Amino acid sequence: MLSECFIASTLASGKVPASASLRDVGVCVHEFQPTLNLRSTFKKSSTAARCLAVSPSHVFAAQAEKAIVHVYSREKGNQEAIVPFPERIRSIAVAGGKNGDVLVLGTEGGRLILWETCTGRQVATTASHLRPVTALVVDPTSNFILSGSSDASIHVWSLVDLLSFTKAPSGRDRQPPNSPIRTFSNHRAGITSIAVGHSAGRYNIAVSAAEDNTAIAWDYHTGRLLRTFLLPSNAISIALDPADRAFYVGYQDGSIQSIDFYKSQSIQHPLHDPSLQSTPSQPPAEDRWLPPTADCGAAHALTLSYDGMTLLSGHQNGKVLSWNVGRKKYASTVADYTHPITNIMMLPPTGLPHPTLDLQRVAHTIVKPRYDHTLSESSQSIGTVPADYTFSTHLLPSISSTSNQFTEAFSHAYFPESMIEEGLAELAALDQPGSNGVQASSMSQAVTDEEAAAKDSQIFDLEAQLVTLKQKASINETARQSTTDEVTKLRSDLANLHDYITELHEKQEQAQREKIIRQARKEERETRRRDAWFAAEKKGKKGDAVLRKMDAEDTLMTSDTDDQSSDEQ
Amino acid sequence: MAYMSMSLHAVNHRLTNVPVKQLPHLASCLAASLSNCGELLSTPQSQKSTKSDSDNAVQIHKLVTRLGSLLQDRTYEGRWTAVVLVKALVEAGQWEILRGCEPFVRGLISILAKSDPVSTKKMCIITLTRIFHLTYQYPTLVREITTPSLPGFITSALNLISVKPSSEPLRKLKPSTPFVEVVLQAFSELIARHPTIFRPFTAQIHSVLQTIIGSTAPTFPEPILEITQQLFISLHNCAPKNSGGEEWKNACRMTITSIHATSSSVFRAAVEQWESVDPSVRQISHPQNYGEEVGNGPDALGLGSWRGLDAGVNRLVVLLRMLSGFLGTATSSTVVMPVGAILDLTARLNMLTVPSSGSDIQANPQIGRAERENMLTELPRIHVACMKLLLHLVKTLETGVVSVAQTILEQALWVFRAEKFSREVRAGVYDLISALLARVGPSMTKQSVSSLTSTLRTCCHDLLPPAGNQNAPAERSDPKNKTKSNQITANADSFFNPGLKQTRQTSTSSSFPYLTRAASELLVAILTHAPTEFVSPALRAEIDRTIIMTSDKNAMLASVLNPFPAMQGRGVGTSIMPFLARSYPAETEVESLIRPRMPVLMNGSALNGYTAMDEDEEEEEDDESAPAPSTAPEASGFLKPMATPSLHQDMMDVEVSPPANKRSYAEDVEMKAPAPSTVDSLAGAQSKKLRFEAEQAAASTLGAASPAAFTGTAAISVPTSSIAGPAPVQTTTTATVTSKPTLAGGKKTSALPSAEAAEDESDEELPTLNMDPDTDDEDDE
Repeated sequence: MLSECFIASTLASGKVPASASLRDVGVCVHEFQPTLNLRSTFKKSSTAARCLAVSPSHVFAAQAEKAIVHVYSREKGNQEAIVPFPERIRSIAVAGGKNGDVLVLGTEGGRLILWETCTGRQVATTASHLRPVTALVVDPTSNFILSGSSDASIHVWSLVDLLSFTKAPSGRDRQPPNSPIRTFSNHRAGITSIAVGHSAGRYNIAVSAAEDNTAIAWDYHTGRLLRTFLLPSNAISIALDPADRAFYVGYQDGSIQSIDFYKSQSIQHPLHDPSLQSTPSQPPAEDRWLPPTADCGAAHALTLSYDGMTLLSGHQNGKVLSWNVGRKKYASTVADYTHPITNIMMLPPTGLPHPTLDLQRVAHTIVKPRYDHTLSESSQSIGTVPADYTFSTHLLPSISSTSNQFTEAFSHAYFPESMIEEGLAELAALDQPGSNGVQASSMSQAVTDEEAAAKDSQIFDLEAQLVTLKQKASINETARQSTTDEVTKLRSDLANLHDYITELHEKQEQAQREKIIRQARKEERETRRRDAWFAAEKKGKKGDAVLRKMDAEDTLMTSDTDDQSSDEQ
Repeated sequence: MAYMSMSLHAVNHRLTNVPVKQLPHLASCLAASLSNCGELLSTPQSQKSTKSDSDNAVQIHKLVTRLGSLLQDRTYEGRWTAVVLVKALVEAGQWEILRGCEPFVRGLISILAKSDPVSTKKMCIITLTRIFHLTYQYPTLVREITTPSLPGFITSALNLISVKPSSEPLRKLKPSTPFVEVVLQAFSELIARHPTIFRPFTAQIHSVLQTIIGSTAPTFPEPILEITQQLFISLHNCAPKNSGGEEWKNACRMTITSIHATSSSVFRAAVEQWESVDPSVRQISHPQNYGEEVGNGPDALGLGSWRGLDAGVNRLVVLLRMLSGFLGTATSSTVVMPVGAILDLTARLNMLTVPSSGSDIQANPQIGRAERENMLTELPRIHVACMKLLLHLVKTLETGVVSVAQTILEQALWVFRAEKFSREVRAGVYDLISALLARVGPSMTKQSVSSLTSTLRTCCHDLLPPAGNQNAPAERSDPKNKTKSNQITANADSFFNPGLKQTRQTSTSSSFPYLTRAASELLVAILTHAPTEFVSPALRAEIDRTIIMTSDKNAMLASVLNPFPAMQGRGVGTSIMPFLARSYPAETEVESLIRPRMPVLMNGSALNGYTAMDEDEEEEEDDESAPAPSTAPEASGFLKPMATPSLHQDMMDVEVSPPANKRSYAEDVEMKAPAPSTVDSLAGAQSKKLRFEAEQAAASTLGAASPAAFTGTAAISVPTSSIAGPAPVQTTTTATVTSKPTLAGGKKTSALPSAEAAEDESDEELPTLNMDPDTDDEDDE
C-alpha cells in the first residue's frame, strides 16, 4: 500500500511524555499518509540537531554530548550496536546513494570520519575545520561531502578521493591527502544548516544558512556564489523544494519562511543570472509563516513531503507541525513527542514503483568500524587493496532481463506458442507410420535408458527397414504378376480376334463361290432356254410356248434354289 | 461470468467428445479459453450459492476429473494435452485449483518416468515447477502438496539427466540428454524457496554440476553453463541453518583459489611480475613439470583435470564467469564478499598483457615459443572475462565501489593499452568505464580524465564511419597516443576508389552492434558524469564530431546538457544544439530543452505565490474587468487553473508588492515602505490609469482590440487597482480592497464568456512581453 512516513528524533529533556508509548523514546517513525499514527519507535537516544541519519536498513543517531553513535536496525526494530568514536560527533550524514553504505561523521574537533558500514573500514580526514562540524550533507551523486562548521566556512570534500585505496594521480600534491578540495567562505558566522539540490548533474546547487542572518545559494562544483538572501532572522534549518524551485527556512521563533528562486520570468535560470548574483535579495520579514502559538520554540528541523506540498517542522516544544506550502501557512499539528525535536526526515514513500531505487542488496547488520593501522598508514604500498578487504551484504534476487525458453514458459498463461508447436511437431512425428515414427519412438527409447538406447534404436531402425523392404518386394511381386496376367489375356484376345477374322474370311470366300455357282447355273439355264427356243423354232413349233413351259418349270426350281442361296448368304 | 461459464462448458464438451488423438491440435485454444476463465475458476466455492454457480462448480469438477484421467491416458497425445491444460488451469485458478491439484502433481511426476516425447516431459517439469512456485505463498498448500511431492520430483528430474550408479550419493551425468537445461532451471527456481527439501540431494546435484562445469574438451553451450553456475552458487541455500553465508564464502574462496591454480599453469610460459597482497596466496608455489603438456589435476573445486592450453583457457574463462556469478546471484543471507581477493586476482590476470612496442613480457626459457605464442593469443579472451567480472563487481557494489574504483580503472587501462586491437576487449573496457564513470565521474581529477583520452579517441574511432581518417593521425597531437600511430595502414584501393573504404567500414561497424552500443554509452557517460572542463578541447571537438556523425540522440543530449565551459577570452562556448534540433525536432527531450516550460511547472493552483508574473496578469485582468468586464476563462496566466477565492485571500500580502520583474526585493521594499514614495507611485499609476482608460475607450470604438492597444495595460499593477476603489493609502487596507475585485474577477471569469473574451484571449500574451519597459517607465515617473 502506498504510504509515506517521516522519522523524527528528539533531544532528551526533563519533561515526561504524556503518552506511555513515547516514554524513553528517542527516535520515532511516524506514518504521515494516509493516516497519522506512530509506526515504530527506537529507545534510549538523545540527539542534537543534524545528528540523525537514515539508510534503507539502519538508523544512525549520534548522541548529544557523547562520542558514540547508536545504530538501530530498521528491519528488526531494535538497537543493533553502540559504536564509540574518538571524538564527540556533532553532525552525521549517510552517503552511498540508495544503499547508504557510508556514514559520514563530523566531529567536535573539525574533522570528518568516514565509516563504510559494509566493510568496517574507517577513514579520517585532516582537521580542516577550526571549530566543530555543525552541518553535513552529501550530494545526490554521492561524490561530494559538504561540511559546514561554526568557523563560518564550508568545505567540499571528494568522497571518492577520501575512500579510494588508490589515490588518483592528483594535481593537488601541495595539499596533504584527505583534505577538502574546495572551501566556500562567503558566510560571516557559524554555519547552521546546509541543503543540497536534487540534481545529479554538474549544475547542482547548495543552500547554506549561517548565524549572520544570511542564506546563500551557491554552486558547490565551482564554489561560485549564486545568490545571497538577507533573512529577517537567524535561520536554523533549511529544506529545499524537490524540484529546487524554492527553499524553506525555519527560525528560532518557530516561524517558517519560503524563499522562491523564481520571482521573475527570464529566459535564464534566475540563480545563474550574473546580474542578480551580486545583489543580495531580502525577503521581507512579514512574509514569514507564523506558528499557531508563540511557545512552539525553534524550528530545529524541516522536511518536505514527497510531493513537495507539505512542509513538516520539528520544534523545541516537541511538536511536529505541518505547513501548507501552497497557502503559505500553518496547517496542523502532526505529532507531539514532548522532548525537543531536533531532526525530522521524510522517508521515501513505500508502494511507489521506483525502478532505479530498487535495492539490489541490503545490509542486515553493520560491520563495526575497526581502525586498521594498515589501512591508514601511508607507509603501506599505495594503491593496493588489502586482501582481507571484504564487503558484507545480502544480494537480493533481481528481475533478470535474460529471457530464455524456461522463464518465458514459466510466466506464460499456459505455454508459449513456440513450445506448443514443437510439441505438436513431435507428436505428429510419433503418429506417422514408417521411418519417422520409428525414429521418434527411438528418441523416447533413448530417453529411458542411455546405453542400450542407441543399439535398440538401431535395431528398431533396421527391423523397420526390413519390414518396409519386404512390403515393397511383395508389392512389386504382385504388380509384376498382374502385368503378366494382363499380357497373357491380351494375347489370347488377340488370338481370338485372329480366329474370328479367318472365319469371316472363309465365309466371304464361300459366299463368293456360291455366287459364282449361282451365276453359272443361271447362265446354264439361259443357254438351255435359248437352246430350247431355237430347237422349237427349228421344229417349227411355237418357241414361246416351249419357253413358257420351261419358265413354269424354272420358277419351281429357282424358287428352291433362291431360297437356298438366301439362306446361305 | 456468463461468457466464462459458457466457454468452460465448451471446453468440457470438446475434451470429452473429441477423440484423444485429435486433442493436441485443440490444446492451444482450449488452454487460451481456460486462461480467460480465470475469474470463474478462482472464485471460492463458498461464494457459489446460486444455481448457475453450482452449475459452474459441477463444470469445474468435471474438468478437473477429465484432466486427471487424461494425465493417465494411454496415448502420448492425451498426456501431452493434459499437461498443457493443467498448466493453464493452475495459472488461471490459483488457490482454488491449487488446493486440489495433488492428483495432478502425482500424475505429472509419473509422466517423467514414462517414455513420453521430450516436449511432454519438458512441459511437465515446467508445470510442476510452476505449481510448486505458486503454492509457496500458502503454507497449508506447501504442507499438503509441495513437501510430500517435491522429493519425488527432484529424484525423477535427476533420473532424467543422470544415473545413480550405486548407493553412493553421487550421480553420473547422462551424455547428451535434452533435459539438462530445463531441469537445472527448475532446480534453481525452487532451491532458494525449499532449501530443506533439497538438502538431502545436495551431494547428487553437486556432482552433476561439477561434471558440467569441469568439462573442458567439449564445453557445454553457454546457456547451460550459465544456469549450472547459477545453481552451483545457489547450493549454499541448502546449508544447515545460518551457515549459508559461510558456505557461500567457502565456495567463492575455492573458486578464486582454483582460478589462481589454473592461471599458474596457463601462464607458465611467461614469468609473471605480479605479487599477491595476500600472503597465503603468495606462499603457494607450483612445482611444474615443464617437460609435459600444460595441464592441471583436480583443483580446489573438485573439477576434473585438463590437458592442453586451450582446455586450460576454457577452464579459466568458465571459472571467471562463475566468479562473476557469485557477485550477481541472490544469496540466502548476508555474505562476505572478498573484494580484496577478487581485485588481487584480476590484478594478476590483467597484469600479463600481450606485448606491445612499449612493454615486453619476460619469457620463461623452459617453455617453447609455440606455447608462449599460443598463450598470448588467448590472453584477450581471458581479459574479456576479467572485464566482465569487474563490471559485475561494480554493478553489485554500486556506490560501495568508490573505494576500489580507481584500482579497477587502472586495471582496465592496462588491458586497454596493450590489447585494444581486440574488439571484445574494447567493448568490455568501454562497458566497465561507463559503469565506473556513473559512480565516481563527478569527482574525477584532471589527471584521471586525461588518462582516459586514448580510450575515448578509440571509442570515437569505433563509432565513426572513418571516411576522412586518412588525415586523422595528424590531428592526434596528443603525446600519450604513441601506440596509435601505426594503426592505420595505407590501403591502395582507397586511393583509387575513396568510396570503397567507407562502404566497407560502415558495414563493419554495423556488424558489431555490441561494440557500437558500448562505445556510444561510454560517450554519454563521459559527457554526463565527468567534469567537462577536464576534457581537452581537441578531444571534446572529436567527441562532438562523432556524436554529430552518428546522430545518437542520447549522446547529443548529453553533449548539449554538458557544454564545454566557456574559456576566458574564447568568446561564447559552442553547442551542438542546432544539430540536435535538426535531427530530433519532435522528441520530447529536445522540446523541453529548447523551449522550457519552467513557469508552467510552477503549477498555479497551489503555489500561487510562486510566479509574480501570473499575479500581475490577474490584476490587470481585474482592471480590465472594471471598465469592460471581459475576461476569458483561459486567459488567467499560463495554463493556470482557476484560483479559489480563499487562496487569493491568503496571498494578498504577496500581491500587494509591486511586480518584481527585474528588480530585487530590496528595491521593492524601498519603494513600498515609505509612504510618500508609495503615494508617488500611486499617483503615477493613476495618471497611467487615465491613459489606459482612454486607450481602452479607443479600443472599444475600434471594435477589435489590436495588440498595440493593450501594451499599456501591463503597467497597471496592483496599486492601480486599489486606487480604483476608495483609494486608501495604507497597504493593509489596500490588500482587503484588492481582494474584492479579485473575487469579482474570479467569478466573472467563469460567468462571462463573451465575444470580447475571444479577442482578449488572443491578445493575452502581449502585455507580458511588454512588461519590462513599462515598469521602467513607471520607475522613471
